[in-house]
Amino acid sequence: MSGAYDIIVLGGDPNGLAASARLARAGRRVLVLERRDALGGATTSEELFPGFHFNTGWPDAGLLDAALVNKLDLASHGLDFSDIPVAAYALDSGITLWRDVLRTASELHEHSIPDAQAFVGYAQEAAQYAAILQRMARLEPPGLAHRPLRLLARWAGVALAARRLGPRGLMDFLRVLPMSAQHYLERHFQSEALKGVLAAASVSELMQGPRAAGTSFKLVYGQLAGDSGGYRSAQRVKGGLAALNRALASAAKGAGGDIRTGAQVQRILIENYRVAGVELAGGERIAARAILSTTSPEQTLLDWAGGPQLQPRDVRRLRNIKYQGSTATVHLALSGLPAFEAREEQLSGDIVLCPSPDYAERAYDAAKYGQLSAEPILIARIPSLLDSSLAPTGQHAMSVTVRYAPYQLRDGDWDQKRETLGDLVVKTLERYAPGLGQLVLHRKVITPLDYERDYGLPEGSFTHGQMGLDQLLTMRPIAGFAGYRAPIDGLYLGGDGAHPGGGVSGLPGYNAAGQLLREVR
Amino acid sequence: MANNYDAIIVGGGHNGLVNAAYLARAGWKVLVLEQRHVLGGAAVTEEVFPGFKFSVFSYVVSLLRPEIIRDLKLVKHGLTILPLESTITPLPDGDYIYRGADPHETFRNLSRFSTRDAEAYREYGHAMYHMAKAVKYILGIRPPDPTSLHPRELLQLLKLGRHFLSIGEEHLYTLVKLMTMSSADFLEEWFETDPLVATLSASGIIGTFLGPRSPGSAYVLLHHYMGEIDGVFRAWGFARGGTGAISESIANSARAFGAEIRTEARVAKLLTNNGRATGIVLENGDEYRADVVVSSLDPKLTFLKLADPDELPRELVEDILGFDTYGSSGKVNLALDSLPELAALPGGGAHMRGAISISPSVDYIERAYDQAKYGQFSEKPYIDIIFPSMIDPSMAPPGQHVMSCFVQYAPYQLATGDWDGQREAFGDAVVNTLAEYFPSIKERILHRQVLSPWDIERSIGLSGGNIFQGELSLSQLFFLRPAPGWTQYRTPIEGYYQCGSAVHPGGGITGAPGRLAALQILKDGKR
Repeated sequence: MSGAYDIIVLGGDPNGLAASARLARAGRRVLVLERRDALGGATTSEELFPGFHFNTGWPDAGLLDAALVNKLDLASHGLDFSDIPVAAYALDSGITLWRDVLRTASELHEHSIPDAQAFVGYAQEAAQYAAILQRMARLEPPGLAHRPLRLLARWAGVALAARRLGPRGLMDFLRVLPMSAQHYLERHFQSEALKGVLAAASVSELMQGPRAAGTSFKLVYGQLAGDSGGYRSAQRVKGGLAALNRALASAAKGAGGDIRTGAQVQRILIENYRVAGVELAGGERIAARAILSTTSPEQTLLDWAGGPQLQPRDVRRLRNIKYQGSTATVHLALSGLPAFEAREEQLSGDIVLCPSPDYAERAYDAAKYGQLSAEPILIARIPSLLDSSLAPTGQHAMSVTVRYAPYQLRDGDWDQKRETLGDLVVKTLERYAPGLGQLVLHRKVITPLDYERDYGLPEGSFTHGQMGLDQLLTMRPIAGFAGYRAPIDGLYLGGDGAHPGGGVSGLPGYNAAGQLLREVR
Repeated sequence: MANNYDAIIVGGGHNGLVNAAYLARAGWKVLVLEQRHVLGGAAVTEEVFPGFKFSVFSYVVSLLRPEIIRDLKLVKHGLTILPLESTITPLPDGDYIYRGADPHETFRNLSRFSTRDAEAYREYGHAMYHMAKAVKYILGIRPPDPTSLHPRELLQLLKLGRHFLSIGEEHLYTLVKLMTMSSADFLEEWFETDPLVATLSASGIIGTFLGPRSPGSAYVLLHHYMGEIDGVFRAWGFARGGTGAISESIANSARAFGAEIRTEARVAKLLTNNGRATGIVLENGDEYRADVVVSSLDPKLTFLKLADPDELPRELVEDILGFDTYGSSGKVNLALDSLPELAALPGGGAHMRGAISISPSVDYIERAYDQAKYGQFSEKPYIDIIFPSMIDPSMAPPGQHVMSCFVQYAPYQLATGDWDGQREAFGDAVVNTLAEYFPSIKERILHRQVLSPWDIERSIGLSGGNIFQGELSLSQLFFLRPAPGWTQYRTPIEGYYQCGSAVHPGGGITGAPGRLAALQILKDGKR
């Protein structure tokens, strides 16, 4: 076998890179293996058309953990963010959610006075809850059977933080998280338009409608990194998401880590029930004492480690993970700024088409039966407005996320329906930006099927398993595997399929690396 | 004074009666006040049409706590529960799925669709038995307050934690899944036969405004498994004489312990003095005095109508206003001149003495829910049918039959029009759906009673027509039911208690809230 590494990290996405940086800084000899030629997986930017750069998968580094950025000193490795004053702009109603909650509230007066008053309270409450979830996101989740004292002690910190909400606040926290977003939003607001924008955020990466229990959790989780304006934390990396991977890779390399791209893993080598290394597609073998994988748990364990290494119960649980990818993206290279009826500043954040929670619910209804709704939820972003390096001068790169594009279509498949989806998106947006079609120089549609084939997302699930209440915390990625450990000695799971889940926080990888450092000497 | 009691119970539903019986059993002087002419609330039997008796609302029993049957000597007081042993799901293609009392027969029938499912069915039964056993403990305790640092609450929490650890890791994971998943997703991990998944998952939507694919419905599924009759879990039963007979037997027991029960006595207001309950006043102006007043009504009535909201903390009033009591179920009761034939399996065999479930696929029920979400009744609803007269012939004239159809979904609020205008259209939709499976049904109908959530609200006072006095959603369970801080049967008004389905452990004919409230009241003692 070649090379001499302590640890091999499978997957050169932000989770894998953050893990390798942490491991390398702790003095371990680390190698990252990435299947694609570029780093990042579904968290990256690509020059799809000459001069036009797009965040092809995740739209931004929404939940990137500030503590992680500081500890790995990513600023010195070139990471920088654009300031986006706007969280969301609602296409139909013109409601603008600013990062500055007070500004939002004062503008909401035009739409609804009670909602304007309620908004500040709502945003504060959501921020408080998100701060608790953020603490939880930085810890490894407890298993239900083994409860080492150290873990209890760390979680006691979360309990204390939650206690600071006061008895009443704590009760509300416990009550709100398992609620449906629709119910939660109705407790606060009257305006359908306002509820609609927030509902769209509550169902991101979910195959559930805003009436589903637990979508409130998702709404709060999306605000984990703070500065959400009550809508969603969105950290836009200058130069596109590839710059995030460059910064992380530089941090890893700076600490002595190695990174190889274009390296397709064939299998994980196991000797005497413990990890011995990996074998690549060409037959090359690399030895290591531990492996941290950031690809999906199913691929890592069933395809690479092999089912026979596992108990039948665990195999069944792995196969039962609900992925149900439902996100498609339409990337448009535009010859000019679309004529939305808004000031340029208002278009710098998420441009949301979701006029009401029922609109979202109906879009979900179609997806439930394997169809794409003719009235989809759209969230458009034009990063080139704030970052001129992303498109030629005067031109723009716009990416439109489509919600409830079901991975499994009942009629036909995505290879046939890809351009239909593209047409639908352009046609729908033209209602709000007349003449948009004429501005389109190039178009690339990425469906859930493409996300699976080209970006390695299982069933196109951005979060490597839907983040419903049943697949969180101790149940993530599957019951019994919490704490990043797989049942094979030396094998760790640190992808979005592990706690705390998706959203480009970097935490699954970073936390898993911490666990690995404690356990593998 | 003749009008002085130790305790007055508002509402003669089964929980109010259980509460009264327990208090009377402890030697208290107890008065029960029921607004209608008949006792039982939602658990009543009424001769709606001459000769035809119906369990008008609630129609089967499984959840009644065995300790209540024992403590209150209900069998002696006339309770007989007849088993309801089978479920048949007729399918549109003329086939059917049959599950009966004989496990071998069930195995054979399920094997026709999938041998894997036939085998999994037994395992599933075991798993749910263990789950029900694990949760049973919770049915018998007062929920602790997780935000309190009081040693009593911490001890209770610790006990609860210990209980959960005692059930073992594997079962604990299954329990977490049941608490968070949708019933269809949960069942699809076990079974591949879609109509079987549909029929089983229907237990997860009964009485709730959820679809089989809505997270949270698996808990409702579990809730329906928690019943036990004679120690056998998940045995549905039918009370001889209808569900009203259950209420009657509890009332008999209460009377035997010395309780006084008045019907057609409408309570208007709770009387208080300096934040303490002192009695009630009826709508006719009569006053009755007691230091303890127990409301078995739903929280909206308990806190906002009987009590004066101005006497309550503002937060509680907001919580109760926000408490979800949205009704989603309807009921169609039919009087038939003879037994209709099920096209999939003609004749009057054992299957006609069990439940007949119109649930041909998960999508079928889900689509029924889709319509209801936007304020329409389901044109093709999920229907749970029984023929009470097949089990207990006294329910109908000789040779004739009563047919009970529980229907999901009938949303409380209609997008257009109101229930007075749409009641019969809803009834037609149900009968038309029935006719697809019972071709001769229409000619056999002598009378028809259609009940929407509006009717349920108006006739028996359940706000929103919600049959559980409030949705069984995660945000409204255990220490959150009906409102944080007020889950322990007490209210902010001293001496004023709550004992309805809206308090832990929730709805169904369990009697548990009535009993647990009585235990709390007895512990607090007379003043």
